[in-house]
Amino acid sequence: MPWTEKHRPKNIEEVRGQNPIVTKIKEFIKNFPQKKKAILLHGPPGIGKTTLAYVLANETDSEIFELNASDLRNKDKLKEILKPATQQKSLIKKNKIILVDEVDGISEVDRGGITELLSIVKSSPYPVIMTANDIWNKKLSPIRKQTELIKLKEIDYRTIKDVMISILKKENKFIDNNILTNIAVKAKGDLRAAINDLQTISEIQDPSTINLDERNKETDIFNSLRQVFKTKPTNDILKVFDTVNMTIDEIILWVEENIPAEYEGEELARAYERLSKTDIFKGRIYKQQYWRFLIYENILLSYGISSAKNPDKKVKTNFTTYNRPTRILKIWLNNQRTEKKKSIAKKYARYVHVGEKRAMSEFPIIKQIIKTNSEIQKELNLNEEEIAYLNNESHKH
Amino acid sequence: MTNKSGIWTEKYRPSIFSEVVGQDNIVKRVESLTNSLNIPHLLFAGPAGTGKSTLALIIVKELFKDNWRENYLELNASDERGINVIREKVKNFARTKSLGNVSFKVIFLDEADALTPEAQQALRRTMENYSNTCRFILSCNYSSKIIDPIQSRCAIFRFKLLEKKDVERVIQRIAEKEELMINPEAIEIIYEGSEGDCRRCINILQSTASISPSITPELVSTIISNTKPKDIKVVLDYAISGDFQKARERLLDVMLKESISGQDVIKAIQKEIWNLPVEPEIKVKLTEKTGEAEFRIIEGSDPFIQLQALLVSFVLAGLGK
Repeated sequence: MPWTEKHRPKNIEEVRGQNPIVTKIKEFIKNFPQKKKAILLHGPPGIGKTTLAYVLANETDSEIFELNASDLRNKDKLKEILKPATQQKSLIKKNKIILVDEVDGISEVDRGGITELLSIVKSSPYPVIMTANDIWNKKLSPIRKQTELIKLKEIDYRTIKDVMISILKKENKFIDNNILTNIAVKAKGDLRAAINDLQTISEIQDPSTINLDERNKETDIFNSLRQVFKTKPTNDILKVFDTVNMTIDEIILWVEENIPAEYEGEELARAYERLSKTDIFKGRIYKQQYWRFLIYENILLSYGISSAKNPDKKVKTNFTTYNRPTRILKIWLNNQRTEKKKSIAKKYARYVHVGEKRAMSEFPIIKQIIKTNSEIQKELNLNEEEIAYLNNESHKH
Repeated sequence: MTNKSGIWTEKYRPSIFSEVVGQDNIVKRVESLTNSLNIPHLLFAGPAGTGKSTLALIIVKELFKDNWRENYLELNASDERGINVIREKVKNFARTKSLGNVSFKVIFLDEADALTPEAQQALRRTMENYSNTCRFILSCNYSSKIIDPIQSRCAIFRFKLLEKKDVERVIQRIAEKEELMINPEAIEIIYEGSEGDCRRCINILQSTASISPSITPELVSTIISNTKPKDIKVVLDYAISGDFQKARERLLDVMLKESISGQDVIKAIQKEIWNLPVEPEIKVKLTEKTGEAEFRIIEGSDPFIQLQALLVSFVLAGLGK
C-alpha cells in the first residue's frame, strides 16, 4: 500500500503545515449555508487539498460525495450523478460534503460542465468543496467569481522532514538524516512526492548506496555560488570552491551560467572580464602545461567574480535559484542532431567529388535539392533515418 | 553526353574535353598530354567550381576508358585525418599495377593546400616513391600554399574564375534540358550569389527548381538568402537592447545550429558593428573590444566565454557607455 494512502491524516491533529487554512474551512462548513456555497482550495500538487476535505468531513461527521478528474464531467453526466447526490440525505452520517476534485481538469470535452456545476452548487443544500492547481485559467473565471477562494501554500521543507520522520517511526525504519533533508528540499513543497520518494528509498536494501552524491554536489555548489554572489568579498572567498566536489572546469560552467542572474550593467561587465581572464589562464595551462597558472584561475573565479559587485551596494539577501549549466547538454544534443547531417554530407561529398567540409558548409542548399527528390535519396543510398532527418529539419523552418 | 544522376552537378558535369567551359587553354594542353597516354604529375590551382575535379575525371576516363574506376583514387586532404592516412591509402592503391596500355594509375588529391608544409614534405616523398606506378593530380586554391619541391615536380595549370558569359551559358543549357522558365535577371542573381563558382550556380538553380520550374529572380533571392546565417545581427540587437540573457542564448543557438566557430562569429560581429545604431566613438571602442576578444579566443580555451564577455560590451554600448 502506498504510504501516501496509508499515512494520510484521518483527523485535524494529524494535518501538518496548513493550520490557518483548517480553521477557515471549518468556519465555512459550520456556518453553511452562506452567500457563497462553495469553497475552492487551490495550490500546487501534493500539499493536502483533497486530504483536507476528507479530514474536515470526518471532523464534522459528514459523508463525502466525491467527483474526481477520472469521471466524465459534462453537463449530462453532472445532472445524472451530482444532482441526485445533492438532493439525497446521507444515510449514515449527519451531514454531507460534496467534493469536486481538480476542477481545472474539467476539459473542453466536458462541454457545459462548468456552467452546470455552478448551477448545481447554487441549489445545493450541502457545502461544496472544489480543488484546483491553477485557478487562473480563463475557463474557470465563473467559478472564481462564485466560490470562496482559499489558497494553500507549499509545505515548508522542515515540516516535510518532520512528517517523514514520524512516518519512518511508524514503519520502524531508519534513514540517514542527510538523505531526509535532501528528499525534503528536493520535493519543493510537494509532501506527496516526498513521501513517495521516502518509500522508494526505504525499500532499497542499503539506502546509503543510492546516488545522493549528485544532489550533495549540487547543494555544495549552490552554497558556494551564493557566497560568491551575495556576500562581500573576504579572503574566505578564496577557498569557497575548495569544498565543492567538482573540477574547476565544471565550476567555471556553473559560474558562467549564473552570472547574469546576479549581476547587471557594470557589475556584469566586471564579472565577465574576470571570467574571461580565468579562461585565458585555463588556455595557457593547456597549451604550456604550466599548472601553476591554476592559482590565478582559482582566484579570478572566486574572489574575482565576487568582487565584481559594487562595493558601496547593499549585500543582497534575496534567494536566487541557480541554474544547472545547460551548455554542455545543448552541445551534446546538437552533436546528436548534426550526426545525421554529417553522414548525409559525407555520402553526398563522395558522390559528387567534393570535400566533406565543403558539403557541410553548403548544406542548406544541398539539403533542399536532396529532400525534394527521392530519386537522389536512392542514388546517394540514404537510409531511413537520414531521410527522416531531412524531412524533420524542413518542418522547423 | 549526360550522366544519369538526378543531381545536376553530376548530370551535367562535362565528360569529354570539348564540353569544359571557360578554360580553353588548359583544356587544349591537358588534352594533348592525355592523348600521348603519358602524363606528368599535375597541379591544378584555382578557385572552387572552375573545373579542376572535372578535368581530372575527364583525364582518367580518357586514359582508362571503362576501367577508370580501378585506376583512379580520389582523396580530399582536408577530410583525411593527417598525412599518414593519406600515405597509407596511397600505398594500398599503388601496390597493384595498372591494367591495360597505360602504365600508371592516377591519384587525385583535392584541396592539397590544406596540408601543412611538413605534411607536404611527407607527400613529396610518397610521390617520389611511387612515381613508377602512379601519377598525382593535386588541386589547390592557391599554388603559393604548395611547397616549392612539389611545385617543381608538377606541371602547373592555373584555372581562371569563370566569366559571367560562361556561367550564363551553362545555366541556359541546363534550363533548356530541364524545361525551366528562366530570365536573364534570374541568371544574373544566381551568378552573383555563386561568387563565380559554377558548381554552386548549378546547385542554386536545382534548389530553386525543386520549388518551382519557373525560376523567378525573387525565388532565387529567397533561396540564396536562406542559406546565409544572418542571426548574428539578431544576437547583437538583443545585446544592444540590454537583454544579455537572450543575446547569449541566441548566440549559442546560432553557433550550434550553423556549426560556426568562435572566430567566424567574431568576423561576423566585426562586420556588423558598422550597421549598429551607436555613436562613431562607440563603434571604434567596440571594434577594439572585438579584436581583444579574438585575441583572447586564441589565447584562451573556451570561445563561448570570450564571446559572452564581448556581448557585455555591446550591452554597455547600448546604454551609451
